[in-house]
Amino acid sequence: MNVLETENITKTFQEGSESVEVLKGISLSVARGEVVALEGRSGSGKTTFLSIAGCILTPSGGRLAIAGQAMDMGNARELASARRRSIGFVFQQFNLFPALTARENVEFALNMKGRKDASARREAEAMLDRVGLADRREFLPRDLSGGQKQRVAIARALAGGPPLILADEPTANLDSHVGEQILGLFRELAKRDNRGLMIVTHDAKVRAIADRVAHIEDGRILTGDG
Amino acid sequence: MVDLALKTLLFDRLRFFITVSGVAFAVTLVFVQAGLFAGILGNASVTVRNLDAELWITPKNTANVDFANTFPESYLDRVRSVPGVARADNLIVYFMFMTLPSGARESVEVYAMENFRRWGFPWHVLEGDLDDLKRGPYIFMDNSATRRFGPFAVGDYREVQDTRLEIVGRTADALSFTTTPLVFMDYGQAQRMNADMLKGRTSYVVVKLAAGADPGQVRAEIHRRLPYNDVFTRAEWGDRSEAYWIESTGIGLNMYLTVFLGVLVGVVVVTQTLYTSTMEHLREYGTVKAIGGGNADIYRIIGKQAVIAAVLGYAIGAAMAWGVGALVEKSGLHMALTPTMLAVVFAGALALCLAAALVSFRKVAHIDPAMVFRG
Ligand SMILES: Nc1ncnc2c1ncn2[C@@H]1O[C@H](COP(=O)(O)OP(=O)(O)O)[C@@H](O)[C@H]1O
Ligand SMILES: [Mg+2]
Repeated sequence: MNVLETENITKTFQEGSESVEVLKGISLSVARGEVVALEGRSGSGKTTFLSIAGCILTPSGGRLAIAGQAMDMGNARELASARRRSIGFVFQQFNLFPALTARENVEFALNMKGRKDASARREAEAMLDRVGLADRREFLPRDLSGGQKQRVAIARALAGGPPLILADEPTANLDSHVGEQILGLFRELAKRDNRGLMIVTHDAKVRAIADRVAHIEDGRILTGDG
Repeated sequence: MVDLALKTLLFDRLRFFITVSGVAFAVTLVFVQAGLFAGILGNASVTVRNLDAELWITPKNTANVDFANTFPESYLDRVRSVPGVARADNLIVYFMFMTLPSGARESVEVYAMENFRRWGFPWHVLEGDLDDLKRGPYIFMDNSATRRFGPFAVGDYREVQDTRLEIVGRTADALSFTTTPLVFMDYGQAQRMNADMLKGRTSYVVVKLAAGADPGQVRAEIHRRLPYNDVFTRAEWGDRSEAYWIESTGIGLNMYLTVFLGVLVGVVVVTQTLYTSTMEHLREYGTVKAIGGGNADIYRIIGKQAVIAAVLGYAIGAAMAWGVGALVEKSGLHMALTPTMLAVVFAGALALCLAAALVSFRKVAHIDPAMVFRG
């Protein structure tokens, strides 16, 4: 089953009086347990596509289904609910809450997903253990290295068990060897829990862990998805 | 549950301190100003509110309790015969001169009645027996007189308009807006000392109603029998005395201006710091949305920060006002912090902080969560 299915997604941005067509009909899906790399030059529209796939940005046209459910892109409630239930995000900038410890960052995400009891704390701790941060649970982001921050972000994305993980340039702000470790961790965790993972990047290392590589250029997919 | 609101607030120590200080400062200013106002204004009606009478019969068009003309004391009989009047008595309020041991001459404001005890007046006796006043050339003097006249004690003599009077008691809290010290003496004594003005005349008739009597009816009947006097209820007469001073001195405007300035400072500081903080954390609010949180979650976070600032600022502000109150009390000024004032200022601080939160929230409500992907 596909956890993400997109069909003929288009996106046009209005820049003053000019309109820029960034996505010109993208069809791409991710199955459970599959790792897809979406490559493309800077400015090719990767982040734009990821935002649409993540129910954060409304496309100008096309169809989107998350975990088998077709999305009504005009319904903000439905989109937020899909984000809560089905999607975990990992950002290039980590986007951790600076005032919260590693554990609290993960636990807060669970709170937002509706888990407000003590089990949220236990799951947060378990997730941090899985990304290798058992001894850094109560550290604030400012006291963690870049790689450690991204591990917290991965733990946060995995918490609550969403079937789809979307990562935007997760290695861009990391040293090369740290990036490799992070990618290895990504693949391992996605495979073990049978989740779909899409990593958007222009980092060639991602190919090494991907089951499939799609290339985006001039608003269209060149290779990969059929 | 992870308390993002509180943790973020405490993470930003300096800004948190500024926000809370802003609220505290505004609250202090409002309390001190309103409290001093209420305290000072209270002096204008404190005798009216403490004398155990429901109705005051005054000379026509009297502006306040201190400045009364006189009318024939025989009117008392007409009042006493009105159905529903349990008892009525004459009360003289009259300014006289007192010569101090130093030789200086000062004013005193004399309250004179035949039977003070019946009216529970004066209400705070520190020393002495009120019934002694009937027995001769005696006075009670309020302790507040010390500030003007120097220390005095029971057993001392003072000369009031060429009559030597013995101080046989001391009272507290009996004050006049005019700041003239209050003295209590027998009704007949006061008339004899000012025969030309007070012989056969009184300043007021005070009335205690019979149980179950309708104040409106009694009042109408008194008014019918004494058409050249005014009849007020205790509350009306107290308010009228206060209103006189508000209008004639402008302290009302003064108070409202300072209260307004205090509120303005508080609102600006809180709105400003909350807004700056919200703008600085915009990316985090975007993340909250990206991970599934809604606008309600975000408003809860900002609102909670505002409430924490309001409650803490209020507590500190109230404590500071209380400290200021204790300080000014030493200099003889009274600062009245009534439960109503405490409640109103608390509600006001809360409402203003939540309004400030709303300003910030309007900004966040429209942020594009796609921003979380940008560098
Ligand atoms: N909100 C927006 N408004 C206008 N143009 C945008 C907006 N977001 C992205 N773009 C434009 O769309 C193009 C693709 O951007 P993006 O998806 O961020 O590319 P990538 O992630 O591949 O580097 C760029 O030319 C960018 O300037
Ligand atoms: Mg990008």
